[in-house]
Amino acid sequence: MDKAIQIKGTREGLTITLGASSMPDVLQDLGHQLRTQGAFFRGGAVALQATTRALTRDEIVAVRDLLADYDMTLRTIVTSNDVTRQAATQLDIKVVDAEPQRAVARAAPPREGREPTGPSTGDGMRGMLVKRVVRSGQTVRHAGHVVVIGDVNVGGEILAGGDIVVWGRLRGLAHAGCYGDEKALVCALELAPQQLRIAQHVARPAEGGRRAGDEPEVARVADGAIVVEPWDQARRQGAPR
Amino acid sequence: MSARIITITSGKGGVGKTTTVANLGVALSRMGQRVVVIDSDIGLRNLDMILGLQNRIIYDIVDLVEGRCRARQALIRDRVVPELYLLPAAQSRDKTAVSPADMVRICEQLRNECDFILVDSPAGIELGFRNAIAPSDEFILVTTPEYAALQDVDRVLGILESEGRDQTRLIINRMRPELSRRGDSLTVDQVLDVLGLDLLGIVPESEDVIAANVRGVPIAHAAETLAGQAYQNIARRLLGEQVAFIPLLKGRPKWWQRLGLGRRSAGNDGA
Repeated sequence: MDKAIQIKGTREGLTITLGASSMPDVLQDLGHQLRTQGAFFRGGAVALQATTRALTRDEIVAVRDLLADYDMTLRTIVTSNDVTRQAATQLDIKVVDAEPQRAVARAAPPREGREPTGPSTGDGMRGMLVKRVVRSGQTVRHAGHVVVIGDVNVGGEILAGGDIVVWGRLRGLAHAGCYGDEKALVCALELAPQQLRIAQHVARPAEGGRRAGDEPEVARVADGAIVVEPWDQARRQGAPR
Repeated sequence: MSARIITITSGKGGVGKTTTVANLGVALSRMGQRVVVIDSDIGLRNLDMILGLQNRIIYDIVDLVEGRCRARQALIRDRVVPELYLLPAAQSRDKTAVSPADMVRICEQLRNECDFILVDSPAGIELGFRNAIAPSDEFILVTTPEYAALQDVDRVLGILESEGRDQTRLIINRMRPELSRRGDSLTVDQVLDVLGLDLLGIVPESEDVIAANVRGVPIAHAAETLAGQAYQNIARRLLGEQVAFIPLLKGRPKWWQRLGLGRRSAGNDGA
C-alpha cells in the first residue's frame, strides 16, 4: 500500500507527516498503521506535520479522535497554512510555523524501504531476521515476529509483538506477544531462558537453571500458563499456527 | 614500523586485565619485540606497581595529553627487559582528563616507534573504557571461569561488535581445572560456547602470579612456572605461532578420559 502518511518517533514523541493524499486516504492509512503498530506508540504525544496543506476543523478533529482511540494526544500541528492554523487554534491545539520551502522537499514521494522490516507474513504481521548473537545488554524489539539465527545470551532480550523463533540457544529473556497476543509462541533449538514471557504470562526456570531438552522446544500459553513441550509433540497437537 | 595496538578489556573488575597487560608486555619484549604498555585507568593506576616501576614516574598520560611533556619523557623503561616501556596513568585525576581522541593521538605518535602497544582498560563500559578502546584495532577480552565475568565480557563484546570492531580474542584467566572438572566452576568449553570467540590462551590460577605482582616482577619472567609459560605461549600466539595448549591437570588422565568418554572438557583444559 502506498503510504499516505509517515509516522516517525522522535525524542519529544511522534511526528506524523501528511503527504498529498486525500483526507479519507490519510485517515485510512493512519488507522491501519495504528492498528498494526499502535501498541508501539500508545500514550504518546503527537505532532502533525501538515506543512502547506489546508485542514478544516473537522478533519483535524477526525485525526485527533482516531489518535485518542490509541491513547495518543494530538499536541501540535506544524503548518504554514492559515486555514489550518485557524482551525487548530479553535481546537486549542498548539501551532508551530512550518517553513514554506520545506513543503517542496516533502512533496517528493516518501523514500522506499525506510522500515527496517522484511516482507509481511501471512497474518499481516511483519517479520524481522536477526542474524547474529544477541549478547548481554542488547535488546531486539519488534512489533511483529522475530527470528534469530544465533544464540540469545544471558542478559540479552527479545521483545516481539508476535512469535519468537531462535535457531540457536535461548538463554536470555524472550517476551513473545508483548502487546497481549496469547497465541504467540517462543521456539528455540535449545530453550533455556532466564525468563520467558508470553503476553502477560511470566515463567522462569526452577532455581538452579532449567536444563534444556535435547531437542527443539516450543513454549506457548495453555490454560492460563506457559507450557513448554518438545517441538515434535507441539506439532502433532497442531499448536503452532 | 607500525605497531599493533591491542586493548585488553573485560567489563568486570578483578579478572586480571592489568596482570595480563604486564605479563604480555614482558613476554613479548623477551621475544625481542618493542612494546609500550599504556595504563588508561586514570585515577586508579596499578600497572606501574605490577611492573615495579611506581617509584620512577615523573610524567604521566595526563601530562602528555595536556602538553607538559613529550611522549619520550613520559615513557618509563622497564627495569628488567630492555624494550618494554610504560606510559603510566595519572593517579590524581579522573577519566575525564583524557578523551578518546587524545588516546588515538597518543597511540599514533607512538605507533612508529614500537611493535606493540598494549592498552590496559579500566573496568566498566563508561568513558574510561571508551578511551581504552578508541585507538585499537585488536582486542583481548579477559574472563574468569564464572558467570558474572562471562556476562560482562559478553556485554563488552556486544558493544565492540556493534561498532564493527571484530578482531577479538579471549584469555581465560585464573582457571582452576580441578574445580571445573568437579563442575564447581565453568569449563573452557562452556565459556567458549557462550562467547563464540577465538581462544588466545588459558592462564591457571596460581599463587605465583600474586607473589610476582607483589614483587613487581611479572610471572612471565619465570618460564618454569605454569602461569609464566602460559603467558609466553599467549605472546607466541599473538605473533602468529601455532602453540599447543599445555595440559593444566597433573597426573595421568583416567582411562575413560583418554578414550574421550565422560564429560567433554575433563582433563582437556590447557594453557
